[in-house]
Amino acid sequence: MQHEPVVRLEGVTKKVSSKTLVENVTLDIPPGQVFGFLGPNGAGKTTTIRMMVGLTSISQGDIKICGYSIKEHFETAVSNVGAIVENPEMYKFLTGYQNLRHFARMMTGITEARIQEVVGLVGLNNRIHDKVKTYSLGMRQRLGVAQAILHRPKLLILDEPTNGLDPQGIRELRDYLRLLCHEEGTTVFVSSHLLSEMELMCDSVAIIQNGRLIDVRSLKDRSADSQSAAIETGFLVDDPKKALSILEGAALQDSMITLKITRDEIAETNARLVQAGIKVYGIHTVTRSLEEQFLEMTGGDQIG
Amino acid sequence: MGNFFSLVQNENMKIYRRVRTWVMLGILVVVNLVIPLLFSMVDSEGATSIWDSVILSSTFTFFLCTIFSVIIAADSVAGEFSWGTIKLLLIRPWSRSKILLSKYVSVILFSLLCTVLLTGVSLLVSSLLFSGSADSNMFTPGKSGLVFTLQYILCDYVNLFITVAIAFMLSTVFRAGGLAIGLALFIMFTKGIFMTLFSPERYTWAKYLIFTHMDLTSYLQSDVGPGGITLGFSLAVLAVYYIVFMAISWYVFKKRDVAA
Ligand SMILES: Nc1ncnc2c1ncn2[C@@H]1O[C@H](COP(=O)(O)OP(=O)(O)OP(=O)(O)O)[C@@H](O)[C@H]1O
Ligand SMILES: [Mg+2]
Repeated sequence: MQHEPVVRLEGVTKKVSSKTLVENVTLDIPPGQVFGFLGPNGAGKTTTIRMMVGLTSISQGDIKICGYSIKEHFETAVSNVGAIVENPEMYKFLTGYQNLRHFARMMTGITEARIQEVVGLVGLNNRIHDKVKTYSLGMRQRLGVAQAILHRPKLLILDEPTNGLDPQGIRELRDYLRLLCHEEGTTVFVSSHLLSEMELMCDSVAIIQNGRLIDVRSLKDRSADSQSAAIETGFLVDDPKKALSILEGAALQDSMITLKITRDEIAETNARLVQAGIKVYGIHTVTRSLEEQFLEMTGGDQIG
Repeated sequence: MGNFFSLVQNENMKIYRRVRTWVMLGILVVVNLVIPLLFSMVDSEGATSIWDSVILSSTFTFFLCTIFSVIIAADSVAGEFSWGTIKLLLIRPWSRSKILLSKYVSVILFSLLCTVLLTGVSLLVSSLLFSGSADSNMFTPGKSGLVFTLQYILCDYVNLFITVAIAFMLSTVFRAGGLAIGLALFIMFTKGIFMTLFSPERYTWAKYLIFTHMDLTSYLQSDVGPGGITLGFSLAVLAVYYIVFMAISWYVFKKRDVAA
């Protein structure tokens, strides 16, 4: 029961005339996670999200949200979803509050107190009664988040939610998403190409390129294996050439000596270098960031 | 699941929270004040009846009423697309049919409001300015002025209703408000030309054209229209067109892929 996926994409394909935008994507999103959806521009992230919320039709396959097909039981399926798809466009001639009232009326059981609570959460208390046309991009983004979480959805889908937010806002959003996820058990599905952001925010990521899912991985276990596993470590030394000759299996990378060793070996290696009369200026753990892994996997440049 | 009335309430909020809606309603009131006034200045004998004044002013102002309703209808769906808010509107637990229906209902409510406002203001002003009881050349003999006036306004409203349906359909199909307004108004102003060009007197097929039937006021004078068509026939043709317009709107709106 617990591990019944919140979202199930079953061989989802989207074709527009003869072009295939998303091809045979099969993906289960487990509950209570912040799940990242990564991909270069034009990979098909937004297209997939549009299909998940029923904005566009699914050419082949099906998407089930909390067990309900978005094709057959749209209303039940979508009542579990809160979303921002691309930019959070709101009614500009209405105030932020009226916008929220508008969306609250379309769903059941949203009280006035809940609206106030959400306004507080996104930090718009001071401006909520201003017209949306006077809002900055970041404020609109916050209002977008507010309308998405209004009905406490089981699944929150955010398409590039950090777009336009200031560092403070990004931080708050990140903390808030984690809170939602861990306290209320909301599953959060975020798409982004801001990789460092995703790394901080997500429990797992799926990587999509040219409409195809190329990898799904968990980001949690990276910190778990720190004790005994070999870690890529870099030594900043005054004489890299000499150091290279002493240490077997080491490589020179940007004037740093790198080698893959365990924690105990780091200390030993350091001692050996010092004994050989090499000055050690610094020791760093070289983590390959998600960004590097991502670029490696997607091959960097080509927009598909 | 929820209450359909709250959807209509939302659509109404989006109509009446905009300044331009109040500008339109304001213009409608002012024009309906001014036209009977002007009319009373020309009317030197003071023999004109209230009903003549109401009918005369409504022939002018119903144009405005139709234009304003067309603007609201054209923006109802196309506006959501151009603002991008359609994406937020369609991901609620409501079927697209019901969302479109709520939009249509709000448009019809607006057109009714305009019509009631127009009739009310011109009736009020006319009753203050005119007291004559001269037999009008506009009326069918033996009909009361009130009944005739109401029938006349009802015919005008049917015309408006069909024009608004066209605008609503165009707005849904093309998602472009300007185009919908333009085409609907084009039809409104040129249907007279179409009627003279393609009169049912000359071509029998012309009696199936929508233009031939949009203006029903001729039936107030005589039971038979051009080419021997009757009121019942006209209403049947209008109903068929109306159903087709609505079917197209609903079909397109339900099937459409919403992409940026
Ligand atoms: N209606 C459409 N018709 C044809 N092609 C489309 C349509 N919509 C999107 N595409 C194409 O589908 C591909 C995927 O687009 P999508 O918007 O899903 O990308 P994305 O992953 O969200 O990219 P970004 O990071 O730039 O937002 C792109 O190549 C785009 O050109
Ligand atoms: Mg996108």
